[in-house]
Amino acid sequence: MGVVVLALAAGFLTYSLSVGGVATKRGNYEISAKFGEAGSLAPGAAVSVAGVKVGTVSQVTLEPKTYLAVAKLSIDPTVKLPADSTAKITSDGLLGGAHIAIAPGAALDDLKPGGEIENTQGAVDIFGLIGSVIRPQGGASSDAAASSTPAPANPATQPAESY
Amino acid sequence: MTEAIPKLAWKGVTKRFDGRAVLDGLDLSVAPGKSLVIIGGSGQGKSVTIKTALGLMRPEAGKIELDGKNVVGLSEGARRKLFSRVGVLFQGAALFDSLTVWENVAFRLINADGVPRKEARERAIEALDQVRLAPAVADRFPSELSGGMQKRAGLARAVVARPEILFFDEPTTGLDPITAAAINQLISDQVRRLGSTAVSITHDLASAQTIGDEIAMLHDGRIIWRGPAAELRTTGNPYVRQFVEGRAEGPISHAV
Amino acid sequence: MAEAEAARRVANPIQVLGRSTLAAVRMVGSVGVFAVRGVAAALTPPWFLSQLWRQIVAIGFFSLPVVGLTAVFTGAALALNIFTGGGRFNAEQVMPQIVALGITRELGPVLAALMLAGRVSAAIAAEIGAMRATEQIDAMRTLSTDPFRYLVGPRLLAGVLMLPLLTAVADTIGVAGGWLVATRVLEFSPTIYIRNTLDFLQAWDVVSGLIKAAVFGFIVALMGCYHGYNASGGARGVGRATTHAVVSSAILIFASDYLLTTFFTHAAQ
Repeated sequence: MGVVVLALAAGFLTYSLSVGGVATKRGNYEISAKFGEAGSLAPGAAVSVAGVKVGTVSQVTLEPKTYLAVAKLSIDPTVKLPADSTAKITSDGLLGGAHIAIAPGAALDDLKPGGEIENTQGAVDIFGLIGSVIRPQGGASSDAAASSTPAPANPATQPAESY
Repeated sequence: MTEAIPKLAWKGVTKRFDGRAVLDGLDLSVAPGKSLVIIGGSGQGKSVTIKTALGLMRPEAGKIELDGKNVVGLSEGARRKLFSRVGVLFQGAALFDSLTVWENVAFRLINADGVPRKEARERAIEALDQVRLAPAVADRFPSELSGGMQKRAGLARAVVARPEILFFDEPTTGLDPITAAAINQLISDQVRRLGSTAVSITHDLASAQTIGDEIAMLHDGRIIWRGPAAELRTTGNPYVRQFVEGRAEGPISHAV
Repeated sequence: MAEAEAARRVANPIQVLGRSTLAAVRMVGSVGVFAVRGVAAALTPPWFLSQLWRQIVAIGFFSLPVVGLTAVFTGAALALNIFTGGGRFNAEQVMPQIVALGITRELGPVLAALMLAGRVSAAIAAEIGAMRATEQIDAMRTLSTDPFRYLVGPRLLAGVLMLPLLTAVADTIGVAGGWLVATRVLEFSPTIYIRNTLDFLQAWDVVSGLIKAAVFGFIVALMGCYHGYNASGGARGVGRATTHAVVSSAILIFASDYLLTTFFTHAAQ
């Protein structure tokens, strides 16, 4: 009986890891991307291309001179990204965690390990958007999502800028 | 005649339970190589006498001397060295239920003396043979044995390491007369074979006279009579007389 | 005469209170001394490896079925409840993450430990208590073998080592239980459920649960050994020891769970 339990647990675990994608971190190569606003992006967040997870965010730090958020991305070695790809911080809906979506470019060269994604778009500040919609008119806005749902913990800074 | 150092001596030993003095200034000694049997009514403290000597209980007062050296209050480590010189047959044999008979008999050899399992098993089977248990019994579990066979296995376990002192706690209690006689004979054979000193407690008089060179009677926490086994039935001591004749009336009143 | 009677009656509740306080303090001290001896026996040579192995199998392997069953039903029920709760905020989509967090940090270790308290602690108390009642522990000492090294140490070690492993299994199967309910009943996507769970879970969630499990494993084994070793009074004493072992294990598990959770919550910040 104990063997059955162990087998079931092991089975589910392997299934999960294979579905969860990027089961092993070995062989991943690192690239970086700089954003004006990281939002709630944290290490461990997914990096996806066309909605498919291809890597994880391994680090989010502040570059002291430019005050930009530098994200290090750990990418699956079988996935090659064109050098002019775009990285955008997005989320799965209002409550989904922040993650990075990469739109591949058209360049002939691929990003090499240690390379940097030049074209980025930072996190969108929901509160700022809602505020800017509500404030000018002084009434309820129909664009904003249902006000009863708690929004993600975005700092209420100036609206996002594209870098 | 010079006084040889007794093998084991209790000097002024007092042990209380809940305020009641079960042993009250007990003085007793056993000469080396001799067999002493302690008799007495139930609840008189016979088991306690043995347990204090073994160090399983600690007396409130008094000394217990093994070869002249006090052994009360020894550290666990020092006591473990002492234990290697004794063998004990407990009242219910106290065999370990989860081990086979041979593993029980060889327990000390395997776990304390570091004897390899193969050799330990051979010595265990030899010891079982000494107590007239067949080698087939070796691989059975204690729960599969009868009471008498368990006692014999317990005896084998006590003697397998050739101890200097043997303790027997009511060895024949609960056995039928024939099995009891067999156990008595085995005990007396083993003690003689090993030349050990033996201390037994019992209320079985036939057992006392078979096993013992000397008999001592314990009452109210003290020894009230002591003499050679042959004098047990002839002494005039009223307590002993009441005990031997099995009378309910007499100087021994049952407070328990 | 009547005054003396009245005085005695007033003094009695105070006496009872005083006596029970002293008894409680004495017990804490007694358990403490026992624990120190047990740990010393477990961590210093000589070891009885065959005994340790036996306990590992008894505590670890044979507890798997009960832990597995507990985990799968708890995970499934938890998923349903969190889904309901999340629905009140239109936040049903976070159910996988919350369920995983609840299981790895709290329910996995605590429920596995409680099942073990009932199963293992009771069995240890009964076995050692019966040995005490039949003088087997005294016999062992006279055979130059320290009962703390032979009986207590291996059980303590096995408890500390096995409960984290059992908790890891419970965590996996608990999440699987939630996943089953989510995918079959609540119409979640199987792969998205798992991806969300894995992305959300942090190593510390799982590790803090495993550390708790190690502490609980120690408690379960200690209570079983302590109450069994100190059992008195024959068969009834053994029965009492078994009950005390289970109840005291459970209470200590809950108390230490709260303390550890508080500590981990602060430590993470």
